[in-house]
Amino acid sequence: MSILLNRRTRVLVQGITGKIGQAQTRWMKEYGTNIVAGVTPGRGGVSVEGVPVFDSVRAAVTATGAEASVFFVPARAVKDTLFETLEAGIRLVVVVTEHVPVHDTMEMRAEAKKSGAMLLGPTTPGILTVGEAKMGIIPGNLFPPAGGSVGVVSRSGTLAYEVGGILAKAGTVPNTVVGMGADPVVLTDLADILRLFAADPETAFVTIVGEVGGVQEEMAAEYIAREFPKPVIAYIAGRNTPEGKRMGHAGAIVQRGMGSVAGKVAALERAGAHIAHTPAEVGELARRLACSSGSSR
Amino acid sequence: MRLHEHEAATFFQQAGVPVPPFAVVRSPDEARAALDRVGLPAVLKSQVLVGSRGKHGGILSAGSSDEVCQQASSLLGSQVRGFAVQSVMIVRKVDIARELYAGITVDAMAGAITVILGSVGGIDVETIARERPETLFRRTIRPPAQLRGHEARALAAEAGFSGDLMVRIAEVLMALYRVFCTSDALIAEVNPLAVTPDQALWALDAVMEVDDAALFRHPEMPKDALERIEHPLERAAKRIGVSYVDLDGDIAILSSGAGLGMATMDVVGQRLRPANFLETGGGITEELMYRTTAHVLRKPGLRGLLINLYGGINPIHEGAKGIVRALKERPVAFPVVAKALGNRQEETWATLREAGVIIVTDITTEAAVDALDRALQDRQGRTAGGGA
Repeated sequence: MSILLNRRTRVLVQGITGKIGQAQTRWMKEYGTNIVAGVTPGRGGVSVEGVPVFDSVRAAVTATGAEASVFFVPARAVKDTLFETLEAGIRLVVVVTEHVPVHDTMEMRAEAKKSGAMLLGPTTPGILTVGEAKMGIIPGNLFPPAGGSVGVVSRSGTLAYEVGGILAKAGTVPNTVVGMGADPVVLTDLADILRLFAADPETAFVTIVGEVGGVQEEMAAEYIAREFPKPVIAYIAGRNTPEGKRMGHAGAIVQRGMGSVAGKVAALERAGAHIAHTPAEVGELARRLACSSGSSR
Repeated sequence: MRLHEHEAATFFQQAGVPVPPFAVVRSPDEARAALDRVGLPAVLKSQVLVGSRGKHGGILSAGSSDEVCQQASSLLGSQVRGFAVQSVMIVRKVDIARELYAGITVDAMAGAITVILGSVGGIDVETIARERPETLFRRTIRPPAQLRGHEARALAAEAGFSGDLMVRIAEVLMALYRVFCTSDALIAEVNPLAVTPDQALWALDAVMEVDDAALFRHPEMPKDALERIEHPLERAAKRIGVSYVDLDGDIAILSSGAGLGMATMDVVGQRLRPANFLETGGGITEELMYRTTAHVLRKPGLRGLLINLYGGINPIHEGAKGIVRALKERPVAFPVVAKALGNRQEETWATLREAGVIIVTDITTEAAVDALDRALQDRQGRTAGGGA
């Protein structure tokens, strides 16, 4: 089982005719994703990797019944594109694009809450449902052919790959790996993604991959303490990050005493999470948890 | 991009925030001439992108034209907290009866904009929040919603103001809010917002940082964003298009994501000392990796290089060619270890192996650090053995 995405989900690729959109469409199709349409305004009528391209989201939805969309559009076009996508009725959107202006993200976030859509990003690697489908850029070859029962949700992209791969190697295979986006303001909160794993009967436990900066982990810790019914493993990257330094994307910065690794770890520990101090430790904790709870894989 | 005070003050003034008469000068003569516009007494403020200028001798006041000239020549060319003073802002001095705080910022927790009015100002807002939180009053605004006049007035009333002063404080908040939104700012702050004995309001400082990701739609903003990065290696990296943070160790790190880069630092830091943080983001090409590799190798005194890459959006097989080209041009005497996984990993390994890079195929960053540690110890052992 999985959350959000399975092999039947009809997926639309926006920005499909760009270099990255095209390459990633090929990887997504090879992994088994049911890609039904692409959209690039002005390029309607062509075909990319065997996928028909439309000028507008509405035309793509009408012709193919697309129900989820992944964005490889330029940062400056993301907000406008998102409004078009929501208006066409799509309720699951993955914004892979980096460097989206934060004022745009704030506006999109308010719209997301209003529409009830699930929006991931910006700066997210997307979703990978092991053995079934992927929306975004998570490499499929890090995972075995069939999914297990561990949910993974990560702020960072590359670290999601590493921890997902470590879990698989430990024999505790992920079912769905979700990147929530690495920007300081994201479209959906960590706690909202945890809710989906809580409701999924096949998810035995969840691994959170966090990082220094922002307050997502702290907010999620409150939710976990209050009502999350499953065990949680957490790794928070950035112990050796000097204060006030921006580490790559804007999310990773400790400022005003908020967002430190120590603060996040303390909040999650209080909420009952098992804390890994390195990525490799996630594998050890997962193995132990799988044995003690009697759940296999 | 952080703006200089005079740049922020100009934007604030255009939006309707009351700013006392000011001028920006680069020489003592210009300073004397500027007094026609500014008037006396005046305050001279070093234009450097760092806080606490007053405490570190970067702000002086002057009562006469000669004094202005002297103070300007002592500030220009000096250093304030390590930053060179290239220009000075001369502002008309005003009498202060009371200091307030006004700021607009992005609140990551709410994913929205926060408007803050403080009935106490003049010290930094973190200190106020810690020591006198009851003096800070906030409103959260979720764009596309705007700050409305009645909301701003309610905030000023909550902070204890009434009558005409309440209305004018609200107008300052509205003006700041407008400039915050139209400039794609991350922060727009006036501290202190001064009340004079005759109840006039003046912004006596101006802080603004603009979202780098939005600079493409702001032709009115300064064009030297890169020049404002103080550290030369960090500035050079930004020019290549990657993020670099200089650290004090001797193991260079090259990673393809911020989270992965930080995790690599965590693991390296358990046994060895990272020389830098570097992440490429999702834009790897052969050329970018060539320039990036050459860049991290510029730092003197390195003992090892750890490369940690994932091929998700990045064509790491192309990047590998760039790494090899850099290593051929500038051969290193220390071990280079690479863990590179994901799309087209086998091609990547073959390319790197040919250049003598130690390849780790295990998924854990620990395994890569183990390999580097072993290579360093072997080397030490060989050196010791050779000397015996």
